[in-house]
Amino acid sequence: MAPTELSAVVVDDHPAVRAGVAHWLGSGDPPIRVAAAGDDVRVAWLDDGADADVVILDLHLGGPVPVMGDLRRLVQAGRRVVVYSMRADDATALQCLELGALSYLTKAEGADHLLQATRAAADGRAYTPPSLAGALAGDRSDQRPALTAREVEVLVEWFQSESKHLVAERLGISQSTVNSHLEHIRVKYAMRGREAPTKAMLVARAIQDGLVRLDDL
Amino acid sequence: MSEPRPPADQVIATVRVALVCVVAVLQFGLGLRNLLRHDYHPRFLAVGAFVALACVTAATAAWVLRRRPPPEPVVAAGTAIVLAASVAATTATPAADQFGPADWAFGLIGWHLLLLLLDRAPVLFAALGVHFAVTVGHFLADGVPDRVELGTAGTVVIGTTAVQLAAAVISHLLSRRSREAMALAAERDRLATRVLSAEQWERGQRTAFAGHLGATLSLLADLADGLLDPRKPDTRRFAALAATQLRRLFAENDDVPDPLVHELTACADVAERRGVDVSLAVSGTAVDVPDHIRRDLTGPVAAALATAGTRARVSVLRTDTEVRVAVVSDAGAHATPANSPEVNVESGTYGQYTRMEARWRRQS
Repeated sequence: MAPTELSAVVVDDHPAVRAGVAHWLGSGDPPIRVAAAGDDVRVAWLDDGADADVVILDLHLGGPVPVMGDLRRLVQAGRRVVVYSMRADDATALQCLELGALSYLTKAEGADHLLQATRAAADGRAYTPPSLAGALAGDRSDQRPALTAREVEVLVEWFQSESKHLVAERLGISQSTVNSHLEHIRVKYAMRGREAPTKAMLVARAIQDGLVRLDDL
Repeated sequence: MSEPRPPADQVIATVRVALVCVVAVLQFGLGLRNLLRHDYHPRFLAVGAFVALACVTAATAAWVLRRRPPPEPVVAAGTAIVLAASVAATTATPAADQFGPADWAFGLIGWHLLLLLLDRAPVLFAALGVHFAVTVGHFLADGVPDRVELGTAGTVVIGTTAVQLAAAVISHLLSRRSREAMALAAERDRLATRVLSAEQWERGQRTAFAGHLGATLSLLADLADGLLDPRKPDTRRFAALAATQLRRLFAENDDVPDPLVHELTACADVAERRGVDVSLAVSGTAVDVPDHIRRDLTGPVAAALATAGTRARVSVLRTDTEVRVAVVSDAGAHATPANSPEVNVESGTYGQYTRMEARWRRQS
């Protein structure tokens, strides 16, 4: 029994996508209420949208340039953002994480991932869908954090199979260990690069959950 | 040990053999007879010169008759001895008899120099010039000769020298022509080799293509022979594999920025047409994958997709050190694709999932 219903604001320039996302969120268990939806980032700042727990943001709002500036402003204001994008390229995904988005989903990933990402974001946690795991596993940038061999294996297996059950079976670990590996990786990413309230939240959450110790920082 | 020598050397070697014969005949046929018949002052000088020249001929013949160029020290010493013999023989010959029957040495020394210095034109001309200067100088030193003497001397000098120079020039022309002919022949050989290797490459391509056709040819043959029943699921699976292999083969030679993903897309395409829900995930930027490695990476994917039932996820991951291509599907059984030397293929069944992964560790 959830004490309060979770709410989200959907920013996407396609009405069909907004309707679809609203339907998915509404048919979740428990359902997530769509407080506002629109084709402009303003809906996330005004009225009901300003109070929504999670912002589901499309990166391309009618223009060819991704709205990275809007993402940065939302994150700096402490909003929990799930980026939901057509683009599957790794560089964009990594850039969104760097700015402080809690999750990056491609539109090829379905309702299940969106629901999990939204719930995790509402809770101040990161969610790593398979495509993002692939981007992290293939990250060749200089500033990438050092991951352990096991963490890389978890990322690769999750990227390849989209099934935590299979990852757990293949690596001989439990599904909750798979999840904590994924969260640990995201904490490592959150601790590098520019600071953002959501990143601080992520790290604080990880300490609370016992995923990282204070002296690890 | 026979090192192939340049063709020019062959011509020079042949001309030299002829020259050794000419020198020997001239020296012991004409020269010796004249030496014995006439008077020389002092006689020992003339005889010494004759013996020295004979020795040079003998020494040179040791190499020339084996068709080898005489070594440089032999040539240098020989030339010095011949020029010394020129001075000695000329000194011993009375000036009045110069260029006459008593002058056994003038022409002979010219031929000697030609024999020694045939492949060194500038030195040859210089040595001939010295010899010419010595004899003519000696001839003129005894006072101005009359017109008849001058005429006789001129005829001998020009006649002898012209023949010798002509021999030198002709042998050089011949050697140059033969060099050109050899170059032409070598070029023709190279061309023939190129044509041959091109034909071989084409044959190889054709065989390789037939090889890459994989299951297609035997499938078609068995269908035609009625050995396979198109209604059986096994045959359909076989056909699915053949179709995927063919599609991949067609994609193989397309000129695209990311050939690996292009081929994987082609494989996924065929499976989708068969009703399989395929998702293709790509991570990492394109890296250079050699053709045969790409074939080893995509081959197992084609095989795995051919067995997929309703769902399959194809993924390609490229990192600094490796390329990993995987298929996770709901196929009931998995084929065990063979490992290639450079690509490690692993497959297994985990509950409802069948997983195949091909990994290639990049050098560097």
